[in-house]
Amino acid sequence: MGESEARTAREEWGSRFGFLMALVGAMVGAGNIWRMPFTTGQNGGGAFLVAYVLLLYLVAVPGLMAETMIGRYTNNGVIGAFNQVLGSKRARGLGLVVLLVNVALMSYYSPIIGWALYYAGHSLLGTFTQAGFQPQAFWNGFIGNTALVVGMHTLTMAGLAGVLVFGIRRGIERVVKWMIPLLVFALVAVAIRGITLPGGMEGLAFVFTPDWGYLTRGSMWIAALSQALFSTGLGWGIALTYGSYLGRYDDVPLGGGLFTAIGNTSIGLLAVFATFPVVFAFGLEPTAGSNLLFISLAEVFPELPGGAAWAAVFFVSFFFATFTSGLGITEVGVTTVSEETRLSRTGSVLAVCGAIWLFGLPSAYSSSFLGQMDFIFGSFGLPLATLSIIALVAWKFGPERARVIDLNRNAGVYVGRWWNPVIKYVIPTVMVFILGYGIVTNIGTDNQTLTIVGVALMAVLVVASVAVMSVVGDAPGDRPGAASKGGD
Amino acid sequence: MALSTLAWATMALSILVLPGVATAILVRSMRSEDRKLALLERQDNIDSYSPRALEELREWIQTNPNDPYAPEARERYNECVRTLREIDDPYYDWSPEQIEKLETIEE
Repeated sequence: MGESEARTAREEWGSRFGFLMALVGAMVGAGNIWRMPFTTGQNGGGAFLVAYVLLLYLVAVPGLMAETMIGRYTNNGVIGAFNQVLGSKRARGLGLVVLLVNVALMSYYSPIIGWALYYAGHSLLGTFTQAGFQPQAFWNGFIGNTALVVGMHTLTMAGLAGVLVFGIRRGIERVVKWMIPLLVFALVAVAIRGITLPGGMEGLAFVFTPDWGYLTRGSMWIAALSQALFSTGLGWGIALTYGSYLGRYDDVPLGGGLFTAIGNTSIGLLAVFATFPVVFAFGLEPTAGSNLLFISLAEVFPELPGGAAWAAVFFVSFFFATFTSGLGITEVGVTTVSEETRLSRTGSVLAVCGAIWLFGLPSAYSSSFLGQMDFIFGSFGLPLATLSIIALVAWKFGPERARVIDLNRNAGVYVGRWWNPVIKYVIPTVMVFILGYGIVTNIGTDNQTLTIVGVALMAVLVVASVAVMSVVGDAPGDRPGAASKGGD
Repeated sequence: MALSTLAWATMALSILVLPGVATAILVRSMRSEDRKLALLERQDNIDSYSPRALEELREWIQTNPNDPYAPEARERYNECVRTLREIDDPYYDWSPEQIEKLETIEE
């Protein structure tokens, strides 16, 4: 196929199952495995789950419907979608903000995938069950070896590029169709093993015994809201990008909204079953976050009968969870760059993965820098990106117009008028509240400087992105006969 | 340590509303795709709006005739009406009487 032909035909998902696994795989990440169990246990167990599920259905599901819909409607990546709906060169700046937040997010997420890859590799080699294995020393030896961490970061980006270069159907879809089912089966297997351990049920008691008093605490609702919004990946541009590869007969609300949010949370619940029984059976500290995975769990698997196999199942599945997220986050950039520049798909993959690799070096070099990036972009960058995408549907396209013209077209489930106020008022209010709450609660704490830097950085990002996009030339899509399409 | 009845109930409810619902949606979505593919193979076209969704689209077009998106909305509405008249087996729950009453909108 000639270059011009290749750039006019947009790729589509090969199957419904492939799209659903890709979207859920992109949203299921490290946070589901190490954050959801801890957050649930710390915030009243069952009471937190009630609040979380409520907010999931009220905010995350409608939001994901809106994001996936605008992707399918425009058949464009983030910059193209903003350009098409807002109809101005300057408007592309908001798309650029979403793109840059994704690149920044991926720059520190790639080293984390590298950690998961390293542990998955060693679990397969049986390192954790060797005599004299010391998990803390092993972790310190790894994280203190800059060349090794940078090497794993490099290997991660090379692996992601190796998949993405094959496109949507032959690349992403082919990988996620077996990675996500294997992740689910692995978590179920580890969960069954954990529950059957002596003392394992205490972990479930900790998580599921509801403390209804928490329902009156504002902090619990904030935690539930943050988990519902950020663990589902709402507004990161992933649902928009993956939605842009849907075909005309594909449904949006059932798969893009309901399944993505609930499927993602279901895997978080499986992670609760997989980790907390083991944590309590071995008397580990449940609030240890990433240390829980890389140090505590690495310590206990060898003590189980057949521990090497259980460690391999767990760490390989954890790697799958992070890798499929890496595919989704990176694809946002790849699709957009291939649409907005003259680069081919391969060129775009190399450019985006190369840029992420380069920007990821400081995070790979320093865990402290990684933590600061996570704070800045997790607290301010992602809410900003979410607000931008939801605002596009809520205040420009218009929820009623979106609902009647596109959302209910070929839909597997009918979406009623209740959706309009949720998109127009509830989600933007929630995002502004979360941004404001993050700023207010961090002023006067150790994070004050980072908070100021984060807010300033986001302001600069918005102004610079709008300025850059208003002066750069027309996108290829604006020129007759040169429609660049990302997934070819 | 045995779980309390309340903890069992919370756990069962969590499994029901999360993995239970997710599995049900996945099955429904896959069946829906199979049905769409079967209909497309047989009649080369399927209706794209349910009766309620098409009625709302018509109402919106009539309320917003000069909206910038109205031409596209009319095109989608008329396409669905024409498809319903052409095909034997609609994807959505359309009755022959409902289809009979449908009229295209002037574009």
